[in-house]
Amino acid sequence: MIHFQNVTKNYENQTALRDISFSVDKGEMIFLTGPSGSGKSTLLKLIYLAEKADNGEITIADWELSRLKESSIPSVRRNIGIIFQDFRLLDNRTVFENIALALRIRGIGEKETKIRVYDALKTVNLRHKSDAYPKALSGGEQQRVVIARAIVSDPTILLADEPTGNLDPDTAQGVAKIFKDVHARGTTIIIATHNREMYRNTGKRVLQLDSGNLIGEGLG
Amino acid sequence: MIAPYALKLAVQSLLREKWINLLSVMTIAAGLLIISISFFALYNIDVATKKLPEKFSLTAYLDKNLQRDQLDSVVDAFRKKKTVLSVRYISKDEAMKELKSSLKNSDYILEGLEENPLPDSLEIKLKSNEVGAETVQQFAREAMKIKGVAEVNYGEKFLSTLETIKKGVKAVGMFFAVILSTGIVFVCYSTVKILFYRRSEEIETFKLLGATKGFIRTPFLIEGAVIGACGGLLSLLGCFFLYYTFLLRLSMTMPVFKAILFPSNLFLPLPVLGMLLGLAGAVIALGRLRY
Repeated sequence: MIHFQNVTKNYENQTALRDISFSVDKGEMIFLTGPSGSGKSTLLKLIYLAEKADNGEITIADWELSRLKESSIPSVRRNIGIIFQDFRLLDNRTVFENIALALRIRGIGEKETKIRVYDALKTVNLRHKSDAYPKALSGGEQQRVVIARAIVSDPTILLADEPTGNLDPDTAQGVAKIFKDVHARGTTIIIATHNREMYRNTGKRVLQLDSGNLIGEGLG
Repeated sequence: MIAPYALKLAVQSLLREKWINLLSVMTIAAGLLIISISFFALYNIDVATKKLPEKFSLTAYLDKNLQRDQLDSVVDAFRKKKTVLSVRYISKDEAMKELKSSLKNSDYILEGLEENPLPDSLEIKLKSNEVGAETVQQFAREAMKIKGVAEVNYGEKFLSTLETIKKGVKAVGMFFAVILSTGIVFVCYSTVKILFYRRSEEIETFKLLGATKGFIRTPFLIEGAVIGACGGLLSLLGCFFLYYTFLLRLSMTMPVFKAILFPSNLFLPLPVLGMLLGLAGAVIALGRLRY
């Protein structure tokens, strides 16, 4: 599903990722771990095309990203649900509208949008907050809205960048369960986290990054 | 499904940024109002210059000692021409009478004349649309070839002045239209650019969530078009207001203003013109979106 072959990414004079190679199978769930600045976010950005690799080859499904036309970028992104580290919620729109945006971009009708958004809100336990604005929510609630926006469109791939960063242990556990449920539906998931509790005893693959290098791989 | 949502986004943005949008609408309205006033003035000048050819005529002087049947054939030759509206025969006696009446109290200058030196002539009027410097010159050349015609006279200066006025009117009209239309496009360009920058974070999120260029652009294009159309509508109302509060009242007290025409049906497309200019400004402002 996702294939990295000798991928390198530099930022000016700094190497963010060096010669990274790995594969993720369809329907697999893996974790990326490592300290801050190890390259986890950059790796995810390469997948959702917010950044371009300087060297190497990245393949997502049938798309070879280095040969991808600019006009095809939206199509690739519409197959991916993203949980951004900085949330990227629109402050002037309600929770409902923020989540519905993912569906409106995909051209889904109003009736279906309503059903799916309320389903997603139910999944993240925020049904009662649908009319609230993001700034009126706690950090944990905002995090869950972002998760709902990422899963509402039933993406083939789900990318999560520190999805439990702002959550207390109990809510984090709840989020872990959401990922488990989404994974059970056959979604390929990559979660970047430095929260060991997220991957401990999951039996899933864990890729360890440090200073832009892939230094190890094991099972959680 | 994109269109209703784009419309919703555009309306939300138009209301949210109402002050900047209102300012743009008023600027566009002012620009279009100046264009309309110029056009209104030019329209009236054009109508007035179009009436002038009705008064224009050529004089064909005939050979002396021309027989009656020869005269008839000359008149026929002119009447057969498609460009001719009317032909009037003026005998030398009639011409003398007209000369005397035009001299009024100065007719004593003709007292020394023993015989009438004026020739018989034909006064030829051309159809209005045929009155132009080149066509009349061509007509005069052809008239000279008709047997029995000694000389052809026409107001060359009058015609060239008419041509100059017409060209001037067109040039001034074009100048105002081009300069002010460019200004209006620029106003829309700036407005949409500002709105675009203000929402750059939001647009970035749209892109990352998989929005197409069309999805991102459409609300801005609608906004540009609506701002332009509102400016056009306001300028249309301004035109009617100016006409009904000033010109119409003035014409009641000063009859000279009655001659001024108000082509209201020609002003009606102003909102459409505003919309197109607004759309053009928005298209330029959005430029090439990059992912």
